[in-house]
Amino acid sequence: MPPTKKPPPPHRSLRTRLLAAAAVLVLAALVVAGLAIGVILHRFVRGQIEGHLDAQIVALRAGLEAGLLSQNRDAPPFDRDGPGWAWEVRRGSETFVSDSLRGGHITVTAPGPDDDPGHPHPADGTGPRGERLILRVLTVPGTPPATIVAAAPQAALYGPLREALTSLALALGILGLCLIAGLALQVRLGLAPLRRLRADLAAVRAGRRERVPEEQPAEIKPLVTELNALLDQNAQNLERARGHVANLAHALKTPLATLSMALADPARDPDGALRLQVDDMDRRVRHHLRRARAAALAGSARGRTQLAPRVSDLHDALVRLYAEKGVAIDLAVPDDLSVPCEGQDLDEMLGNLVDNACRWCRTRVRVTAASRAGGIVVRVEDDGPGLDDAAAEAVMARGRRLDEGVPGHGFGLPITLELAELYGGGLTLGRSELGGLEAELTLPA
Amino acid sequence: MKILLVEDDTALATELAKVLRAENFVLDRAATGEDAQHLGETEGYDAVVLDLGLPKGDGVSVLRAWRAAGRTLPVLVLTARDGWSDKVAAFKAGADDYLVKPVRVEELVIRLRALVRRSQGGGASRIACGPLSFDTGLGAFEHEGLPLKLTGLEWRVLSCLMLNRDAVVPRPHLIERVYEGDADVDSNSVEVIITRLRRKIAPARIESVRGHGYRLHADPA
Repeated sequence: MPPTKKPPPPHRSLRTRLLAAAAVLVLAALVVAGLAIGVILHRFVRGQIEGHLDAQIVALRAGLEAGLLSQNRDAPPFDRDGPGWAWEVRRGSETFVSDSLRGGHITVTAPGPDDDPGHPHPADGTGPRGERLILRVLTVPGTPPATIVAAAPQAALYGPLREALTSLALALGILGLCLIAGLALQVRLGLAPLRRLRADLAAVRAGRRERVPEEQPAEIKPLVTELNALLDQNAQNLERARGHVANLAHALKTPLATLSMALADPARDPDGALRLQVDDMDRRVRHHLRRARAAALAGSARGRTQLAPRVSDLHDALVRLYAEKGVAIDLAVPDDLSVPCEGQDLDEMLGNLVDNACRWCRTRVRVTAASRAGGIVVRVEDDGPGLDDAAAEAVMARGRRLDEGVPGHGFGLPITLELAELYGGGLTLGRSELGGLEAELTLPA
Repeated sequence: MKILLVEDDTALATELAKVLRAENFVLDRAATGEDAQHLGETEGYDAVVLDLGLPKGDGVSVLRAWRAAGRTLPVLVLTARDGWSDKVAAFKAGADDYLVKPVRVEELVIRLRALVRRSQGGGASRIACGPLSFDTGLGAFEHEGLPLKLTGLEWRVLSCLMLNRDAVVPRPHLIERVYEGDADVDSNSVEVIITRLRRKIAPARIESVRGHGYRLHADPA
């Protein structure tokens, strides 16, 4: 089994890249913000609870020193059983507890650091039913020393915290969505010039524009300048290639013409054999020069060419070329039609078709053009003998077998076909209602 | 028929001149656009064979200059350029016919003659004048239905008179059409040719118009 080719890495769109990066950043920022706010909230709520407990400790200490603890009437929330708000004071063998403990005890599980004697310090613990408690512990010096513990349920901390964090998460989520939507809009706006550039380039390719407009954002302008330079260079190369072909044509044909004239003298070419050679050379030179000219084509045009004036000029030329034969060429080409072809190429396509029609017609040639769904259609008809299907196929095929091509009947047709195909069009041959050949040239609109 | 041959390639111009002279054309030659323009504007020609790629003035520019100066002489463009845009450009500049090099001598001659005939208002390719008839396409004369044998100079004089039959052709005009620009013309030589022609074409006759020139008549009167 041949090794399977790895598929090329997908070219992700700029928009996807920008959006992905933005989404990651926004998400990270929101998570960090959420965590920070959570920590602050936690501290704040715990601070509130501890303040409450410390106030209770201060009251208990005062009660203890006044010996009033045994008759203490607890105020809410320390009077109720259940929620976990409680206190306990131990001095020697004496123990006082809040009403809420109902004789149970607070167990200190994790005593906090007592950095500041004389002030309450934090600790964790459990209640008589094992519920987790937040404690504040104060050690009162004396003989014997007393320990005052005030407790609040952890739920008092985490309940409000959960509520606040839920709202916070919702708010952050909405904020995140808004930010991502805003970024998407920004990316869209930011990339709009690229979309316009693509449309402009497509217009250049279709021949609706000659250059990409230079009024562009600063980031794209250098690219557009380079693009236009490339387009200009292409046009120049094309021009140069055509110039070379023209020079080559001149260089080859002038001596050939001289030879042809010289051989008209029977003394120089008694049996006409040299003459046939010259004719053959001429055909080959013509053929290959046309091929060279076709090869010097861009296959696309910069700008559009109006159809009607070109057809009209060709009409004037062909009427004079066939003045002796007296051909009547009827034109029906709407003024508003244009095609995305170089003028020279259009001349070449139409000239070959109309010339062929004039050569084979009896007296009439008709050129009509119309805009259709598939593009612009130019129809050239004559009242000559026409071609049957097999002959038409042979004529069209001749252009394809380039090397053995012996130009003869309708040599212009394969050239026209080739040109039309370069422009994304086509050429079909059929029978005209005038009686002769109907050549239908289709070009993109 | 007098032709201005504009061709910058010496070898080709020489061969062209040779074959055209063999076909009884009278030739002046120009090798540059400048010369061609000058000759076309000052001399009288029945037609011009014009190359397009010329030193000192492109053929199309020369043609345009002639037309701008009101010169209507028929111009046959003979060039290596075979693109339709080139053809269209030449016709727009005022060309009357267009041939691509290399061209067969027969084709060139037929088209030149047809061009001259059309430019001189002859719609038909056969002109008749009494017992004489002239096939402008083939360049052949017939006299009372039989081919008429003529020398080169006789043919030139008679074709010029035939194309302008029943009108007086001024003597200088005739000399211009018969001899090449730099030929040393003996003033009597035209008279000698006319005399010989008169014998050959009777009863049609060539009338001498004193101080003007000659006129070809159909009626023997």
